[in-house]
Amino acid sequence: MNALIPGLLVLASLLALAALAVARAARWRAGRAAAVDAVAGLLAMPGRYLHDVHDAVLRDPVGRAKAGDTGRAAARMHMLTAGGFIAATALILAVHLFALGGVVLAWLLLAFLALMSAGLLRLYARRKPEVSPRLSRGGFDRLPYAFTAFIVFFAIATLPAAGLIAPFSWASLGGLALLALGAWACIELYVGMGYGPLKHALNGVLHLAFHPRPARFGATTPDSALQPLPATAERLGVEQPRDFAWNRLLAFDACVQCGRCEAACPAFAAGLPLNPKKLIQDLVAASGTHGSDLGYSGSPYPQRPVGSAHGAIDKPIIGSGAMIHPDTLWACTTCRACVYECPMMIEHVDAVVDLRRFQTLELGATPNKAPAVLEELKATDTVCGRPTSARLDWAADLRLPLLAEVEHTEALLWIGEGGFDMRNQRTLRALVKLLREAGIEPAVLGAEELDCGDVARRLGDEKTFEALARRNIATLNGYAGRFARIVTADPHVLQVLGREYPALGGYYSVVHHSTLLAELIEAGRLKPAADDSGRRVTFHDPCYLGRYNGEVSAPRRVLKGIGIKVVEMNRSGMRSSCCGWGGGSTFTDVPGKRRIPDVRMDHVRETGAELVAVACPNCAVMLEGVVQPRADVADLAELLLAAVEAGK
Amino acid sequence: MGQFDKLLEPLRIKHVTIRNRIISTPHAEVYAEDGVPGDRYIRYHAEKARGGIGMTMFGGSSSVATDSPAQWWKSLDFSNDKIIVPLQKLSDAVHGHGAALMAQITHMGRRNRWDGGNWPHLVSPSGLREPVHHATAKTIELEDIQRIIKAFGQAARRAKEGGLDGIELSADHQQLIDQFWSPRTNKRTDGYGGSFDNRMRFGLEVIEEVRRCAGDDFLLCLRMCADEFHPDGIDHEEAIRIARFYTETGLIDLLSVTGSGADTHATLANCMPNMAYPPEPFLHLASGIKAEVKIPLIHAQGIRDPLQAARILDEGHVDLVGITRGHIADPHFVNKMREGRLDEIKQCVGANYCIDRQYQGLDVLCAQNAATSREAVMPHQFSKAEVKKRIVVVGGGPAGLEAARVCAERGHTVTLFEKEPEIGGQVRWAAKAPARDQIGGIVRWFGLELKRLKVDLRLNTAADAAMIRAEQPDIVIMATGGVPFIDQFPGWGAAEGLCVSTHDILSGRVEPKANVLVFDVTSLFAGATTADFIANRGALVEIVTPDLHVAEGMGGTTVPVYNKRLAEKDVICTPNTFLHEVYREGDKLIAVLENEYTGRQEERVVDQVVVENGIRPAEALYFELKAESRNHGQTDLDTLFAYQPQPEISGEGFLMYRVGDCISPRDIHGAIYDSLRLCKDF
Ligand SMILES: Cc1cc2nc3c(=O)[nH]c(=O)nc-3n(C[C@H](O)[C@H](O)[C@H](O)COP(=O)(O)O)c2cc1C
Ligand code: SF4
Ligand code: SF4
Repeated sequence: MNALIPGLLVLASLLALAALAVARAARWRAGRAAAVDAVAGLLAMPGRYLHDVHDAVLRDPVGRAKAGDTGRAAARMHMLTAGGFIAATALILAVHLFALGGVVLAWLLLAFLALMSAGLLRLYARRKPEVSPRLSRGGFDRLPYAFTAFIVFFAIATLPAAGLIAPFSWASLGGLALLALGAWACIELYVGMGYGPLKHALNGVLHLAFHPRPARFGATTPDSALQPLPATAERLGVEQPRDFAWNRLLAFDACVQCGRCEAACPAFAAGLPLNPKKLIQDLVAASGTHGSDLGYSGSPYPQRPVGSAHGAIDKPIIGSGAMIHPDTLWACTTCRACVYECPMMIEHVDAVVDLRRFQTLELGATPNKAPAVLEELKATDTVCGRPTSARLDWAADLRLPLLAEVEHTEALLWIGEGGFDMRNQRTLRALVKLLREAGIEPAVLGAEELDCGDVARRLGDEKTFEALARRNIATLNGYAGRFARIVTADPHVLQVLGREYPALGGYYSVVHHSTLLAELIEAGRLKPAADDSGRRVTFHDPCYLGRYNGEVSAPRRVLKGIGIKVVEMNRSGMRSSCCGWGGGSTFTDVPGKRRIPDVRMDHVRETGAELVAVACPNCAVMLEGVVQPRADVADLAELLLAAVEAGK
Repeated sequence: MGQFDKLLEPLRIKHVTIRNRIISTPHAEVYAEDGVPGDRYIRYHAEKARGGIGMTMFGGSSSVATDSPAQWWKSLDFSNDKIIVPLQKLSDAVHGHGAALMAQITHMGRRNRWDGGNWPHLVSPSGLREPVHHATAKTIELEDIQRIIKAFGQAARRAKEGGLDGIELSADHQQLIDQFWSPRTNKRTDGYGGSFDNRMRFGLEVIEEVRRCAGDDFLLCLRMCADEFHPDGIDHEEAIRIARFYTETGLIDLLSVTGSGADTHATLANCMPNMAYPPEPFLHLASGIKAEVKIPLIHAQGIRDPLQAARILDEGHVDLVGITRGHIADPHFVNKMREGRLDEIKQCVGANYCIDRQYQGLDVLCAQNAATSREAVMPHQFSKAEVKKRIVVVGGGPAGLEAARVCAERGHTVTLFEKEPEIGGQVRWAAKAPARDQIGGIVRWFGLELKRLKVDLRLNTAADAAMIRAEQPDIVIMATGGVPFIDQFPGWGAAEGLCVSTHDILSGRVEPKANVLVFDVTSLFAGATTADFIANRGALVEIVTPDLHVAEGMGGTTVPVYNKRLAEKDVICTPNTFLHEVYREGDKLIAVLENEYTGRQEERVVDQVVVENGIRPAEALYFELKAESRNHGQTDLDTLFAYQPQPEISGEGFLMYRVGDCISPRDIHGAIYDSLRLCKDF
């Protein structure tokens, strides 16, 4: 009996964990049904872990606050601690419960405990003497001690089996103390996997298998299209936690509170009351019967205290006295930085949009200027409320042919909302000139072009989005065969037309102007002169071009074509930081400590750039709105046109 | 909704799309060569098109017939087919930049001079004398009427063949058509006079003939005045009736409406309201007509600012906003507006340099933009110089400001020394006079530009030779201006402190006294506006000048404004008289005046004598540095006048050039022209 005690401790802990897991699964099952291919998912899980998760962990967290807090350190720490722990568990059961393997296995167990100790040193280094602010405290702070206790206890318990000391009895004062230590460690580490910090291990595995977006794994371009509203739901969007699909509730529960999302979130950085990590934790807390954020030990939503939020699986999530304040929900720019950073593959933006859908469609609770914008969209088919026929006012002298008037065009130019804005009319004008320079005569839809629906969709107004999309699709399908591809200078149009219309029956080849311009330069159809001004130039990747569409090379190729060597910002490419426009946030206009574009302009300043090149009309407006002194802002098309004209 | 959405909305009239709502209304450019548009003319209008304007209306007061001579203001001659090919070139150039274009054609009737060209007998409905041009015309005969109607038709045909989008018929500013309209000039008793319909008949027949000859696919604009401001002329009610009469024929496509008649000096000044007027002084009249007609309406008169234009359009007063002098000042007005570079727009300040030159038959130039109408040789936009130089400019008046601006635009490192606490030079004092404050806009624009161009501006810094050398400049530009030249004639008593200068008064250095004599030698703005300044404070003022009349050098559209202001304050104007001597008697001054012709002297007992005698160049610093400059301070005139870069001069040290009044006193345009043509190639 004496020898069995350590093994029994583990067995009992594992049984307790199993019971907890069943209870936890009941929480998830309260969610809506979801079509999940469980077998395929389980088979794919190890691959997803080894590639997608590993890649994400390996990236250095944004703005890490502490030396050594790197992606590599995190990966090593996990490999050693978790790998050692799993192996040790199996060996403890073998050695201590079934008395298998004799001295050899006992020594092997000691070796794995030693391996864990190596990982443990990294865990200490991560949490001692200070902790990066994005990390949570509480139970996480106890983990190093629990692991120490675990290693010490099982090492001593294994010494007799390894033949190093004589068997001893636990029934001494020292033995009982040691036993208590071991029991605590087992509860923290095994049972804790059902409720504590380590629950990410078990839930993470399940989440990887039953992920709501299986297409994201191993994909070459991001799986970023928002999904249509489920047709049969009791409510439009999500009001209560149980309105989420069950595997979304599971997904939230996989959060390890690493805070990588928090560190990347532009809203958080600007002091808007949003922290994606807490958002996910609040959703987890709200999925129980008496949820509150009292147990949350990470950074709060800026400007808001922790501890007063309450929710339950069948209670509204959003509300000033509920789990999540509406300001938090509307502060999100849907930039996907969090999604890109999250090592647990959680889809924050889907959650945000699901919650917004209920607010907008069922409650009409879209804040600030957003309802007016939605009204304009319904009444006029444009965000600014001007007639669609005015979209081309700026181009009267360019005499752009209407698609209706031409037999076929290589490029159907989708003007977008930028056509109503003087700043972006300059970009569009440059783009038209460039296309013509390259021998492409673009055509336009004219008054037939309605808003693409991006703003409506991100504000949760799926109905208006669908109405606009269906009418645009009908128009475009009516011209089937008359245009080779759609060209747009607006990455939001690229996203919506290219990736979100297919779900509604619109399949088009849509290309962003940066991609097309890079092609034209490389094909020798545009011959820019090399920029010899020697000015420092940086490039701001639009979220909807980079993280949404995976296009980070074309803009750089265009700049290279002009002879500009980009001085990169710390946050660039897929890890670019949002300008603050997306997701309708300029209309919901939740106040922060600063404005998001001001934060982004600081990143520009760090490079010493005199000019920041952009590739999105909205980025252009946001960054130009930053007060001087600041870098100049120019769209790729404007820069390229100047270079092409200089080349003549 | 953007603030300029409406301004930038295209207007489609028949087959013509005007890309935005900002246009330039017809003005006599005084650039035509033998009655046809040549290179200079074409470039001038093409530049506005390049600058984004919706439509440029050109050829102010172009003549349809040989008895309406237009060579005085070198306008276009539409009486002959030889204009067609040059017009086609102009159309191509303007259309090529996306703008529409129309010409104004007219017969001036009695509003003309007879003593030139063919020495024609001028015609007018009733042969009455015209006060401004001093012409008495013959009473027009029916045969003349028929001939001129035909000429209008043929002129329109030529315009159409020349590729224009349309023409404007002027029935404004008292030309032949509105000489028939107005009971003030039409005393006829035949079918062309008397009743409303009879007075309208000539205009109607012209319009019908023009339509017949030009066809329907050609825009026809009628320019008219909405109130002649003469008791015996057309009032607003009558103008509305006229507007309805013609628009209801369905024959015209556009109506251009202005306020005020133009056949007296006083009313003429209203037509091109100078800086003394409030903004858009006659908009209400145009608006009154807009309410009564169904076709698009144009108005231009004192609209200078994009925000003002946007408001006028948004409020629905007009359909097209004329910014005519505004485009002489800055042909890139629309592009700058569209690109949000509002502060870069060089706004017209209403100096009326342009129109006052036109009235003397001189080519139209802008006081503050030396590139306008010199597009072939002078840039509105700059390319960067190949070699970046260090340039020091001494003096922040117009010449120095323009030099600093141009050099900075070329990419050089520019330091500007100004000894006063603010830039502007003499313009600062000019702007202190009543109703002259807007001239300060010229300096305000420079200030914004220098800031944008990051010129190192050192105020309160009187540069000396050592400071200039310390900058190690490649080029030094002397623009030190001058000081009032009141000590030229010892009798004025400057040395004894018996007289002060206009600068002393306007700058506030010397308080005006109760009874003041202003002696004005230059007869430009300084004397008269200083008199106005003093009289405005309730003083008794007499202005004495040796010239034929007070403010003789002021232009025809500005002098009426100051005549009125001086008369209102009972300022006594004494021309033909020299200030012979000033001496003190007790606490009074005695000014001895001498008639230029009779030599008779008389005395005035006054409290203060102000002498305006222009300025004396400030040359000391120039002469101090002259010897050590590589070029001995010399500007090579042959290359300068040929708009070529100054010749290379090898050697050590800097090059030095002088610009503006520190060479010899001239005007603002002279100063900036000096600087632009010199510095554009640095
Ligand atoms: C130099 C000059 C010449 C002009 N000549 C004519 C003319 O020949 N015919 C005419 O109808 N108006 C003429 N005008 C008046 C302009 O068309 C316009 O009505 C006037 O300048 C007021 O508009 P603004 O304040 O925008 O300059 C002239 C104006 C200027 C400045
Ligand atoms: S999508 Fe962007 S703004 Fe929204 S929570 Fe994630 S990181 Fe923050
Ligand atoms: S949501 Fe993802 S990135 Fe954010 S704290 Fe949780 S696990 Fe980390």
